[in-house]
Amino acid sequence: MQDHMFFSRRQILAGGAALGLGAALNLQGRMISPAFAAGRTLTLADIGVGDTGDWTKFEQPTGNKVSVVSMGNGPSAVVNQLVAGGGRSIFDIINIVGGMQKPLVDNDLVLKLDPSRMPNWAKNTYIKDYLGKGTPGFNFIGYEDTIYGVPTILQGDSFAYLPEETGELDSYAALFDPKFRGYVSLEDNYTTAGQKTALFLKKAGQADIKDPANMTPEEVKTVIDFLIEQKKAGQFRVIWSSFEQAVNLLTSKEVHVMDCWEPMVFVARSKGHNAKYAAPKEGYLLWALAAYIVNNPERSEAEIGDTYALLDFMLGPWYGAKIALLRGYMTNPGAVEYAKAHPDEFSAEEATRVAEIIDGVKHKFEQGGTWQNRWPTHVDVYEEEWQRFKTA
Amino acid sequence: MLLTRHGRVLRLLVLGLPLLAIAVSIIGPLAITLIVSFWQKKGFGMVPAFTLDSYLLFFEGVRLEVLQRSLWVAVSATVIMLLLAYPIAYLVTRRVRAEFTRVFLFLFAVPFLVNYIVRTFAWADILGRTGPVNSLLIWSGLVTGPVDWLLFSDFAVYLGLVTAYMPFMIFPIWLSLSGLDRRHLEASWMLGESPLATFWRITLPLSLPGVLAAAIFGFVGAFGEVAVSLILGGTGYQLLGNAITSALNVLNYPLAAAISSVATMIMLTLIVAWYRLFDIHLFLGKIMGRR
Repeated sequence: MQDHMFFSRRQILAGGAALGLGAALNLQGRMISPAFAAGRTLTLADIGVGDTGDWTKFEQPTGNKVSVVSMGNGPSAVVNQLVAGGGRSIFDIINIVGGMQKPLVDNDLVLKLDPSRMPNWAKNTYIKDYLGKGTPGFNFIGYEDTIYGVPTILQGDSFAYLPEETGELDSYAALFDPKFRGYVSLEDNYTTAGQKTALFLKKAGQADIKDPANMTPEEVKTVIDFLIEQKKAGQFRVIWSSFEQAVNLLTSKEVHVMDCWEPMVFVARSKGHNAKYAAPKEGYLLWALAAYIVNNPERSEAEIGDTYALLDFMLGPWYGAKIALLRGYMTNPGAVEYAKAHPDEFSAEEATRVAEIIDGVKHKFEQGGTWQNRWPTHVDVYEEEWQRFKTA
Repeated sequence: MLLTRHGRVLRLLVLGLPLLAIAVSIIGPLAITLIVSFWQKKGFGMVPAFTLDSYLLFFEGVRLEVLQRSLWVAVSATVIMLLLAYPIAYLVTRRVRAEFTRVFLFLFAVPFLVNYIVRTFAWADILGRTGPVNSLLIWSGLVTGPVDWLLFSDFAVYLGLVTAYMPFMIFPIWLSLSGLDRRHLEASWMLGESPLATFWRITLPLSLPGVLAAAIFGFVGAFGEVAVSLILGGTGYQLLGNAITSALNVLNYPLAAAISSVATMIMLTLIVAWYRLFDIHLFLGKIMGRR
């Protein structure tokens, strides 16, 4: 009988003790050193553009796993998932379009960041160039002089068009041009469509708007009155509200001019359609994706250290090159050099493409425009007025 | 005696626990929604209070128009769906042989095997300017250019609602019709009434519990609809569900709760009316196979 046993009683007791110790260490994980903390899974809640699909470059050296889960990008979706959806205990990082620090910080949902804990932060000159304190870009990562978000992506938005149907376009005026009546679509979002309209009205001298990014209630009303007038004239075919819907509108030629995001043009092109993303003379709607550490009071210092390591990885050159290539966004200054220096990971064409993408977005930032404001001062007025536009 | 007492306890447990679960999971959230609707929005959160601010914002703002439109769309769509569902249920009950009835009813359930968001997007492709319907119309020479009102219009919204909820309405009407006592019909025939008069005076009145149940299924679905109006409605076609989502987007929970509470009250009124007007036990008896 004894011969057939795989373990002796001594081995079982020793194993049991080891398991017990392991369980105890796991329970007391917050008290142990970072070395013991390795092997945990970090949960990254992402809006769908920050996942490379392969995290082995981070997982192998750290011993930690990355689990990417999807989350909505709307302010309510983010706050609801953190407050009511158990997100504070589940998510380590949320990677969302920045600029909504006010609700996140006021609700105590994210931690303030210590940039010195991320070696790649100091190397990222984009932070100083585009998101420095005292600039409108800072609102995407900071709040009241404190940094809360790590900028993982930078981009400038405009609108898409089908050149075979419209000819070349270089102004937001195309969205309101009677030539394209019934073939125009806007996003169902006052911080994109509303703000681009405000930028157009200001630059065209059609409305007295001081700051399209943060309008007064009267200015918002002016913009919405203009949009309602356009709507009643039949200018807009539809107000889109999802990525797939927007891509379908372009590929089916249901609309010829569309206020949208650049990746939608990439997808349309990949399906063989000649769609272009405009370089409007009025400038771009500039924004940044920011990664925040979720405020979970139960998280240990060691776990926070692991989370910082993942944030630093997301500021790193491999991640930057990969995301630029996958999504067409500007990421960080090291991305181009890394892609060129690692032909085993990025082909020459891919490295060239990364450089083109990043140069393209840099050019957008040089041209300027207006920084998207996800949470304007009079957000309730924006919401009410946007309702008025949609109901009209 | 002991067995009887045990039987009572067992019965109380078997019936009581599910009832308790229903109360907690359905009535609980509704009650919380109602309470929150009177709370005060403060910053990004809310504080307990008793204020009608959210109801005033709802009834004084543009959302009242949304409520009116939602009511109109839901009522008119329900009438259209009833006009389609009743003849279908009638034909299945009277004209389809008993052994094929289940097959026919299953066919009406087939659309539910496909996610309804996917079905709604499919309608957008079918009805679009370059979609198959317009292509066929242009190819046949009936029109010279694409018909714009097929998509992003009232027509598209009604089509989306009808295809989404009408199949649900066939089943309760079929239940009512199939449960009719045929002796009533035979008596009418023997007394010399025409088939049309028999239908108006016997069949239709006796099938009304099923018709009203179907109407409630259709109305509740159409009234709370979000996706159909969003995908097929065009330039901001707003129904009440969209208004609730919109309020949540700016974290105005009391307003969202107030809109939800008004919607719930309207639907509750319908159900109470149904309960008061018809013998619900008779209808449920039919579902459970009793006469």
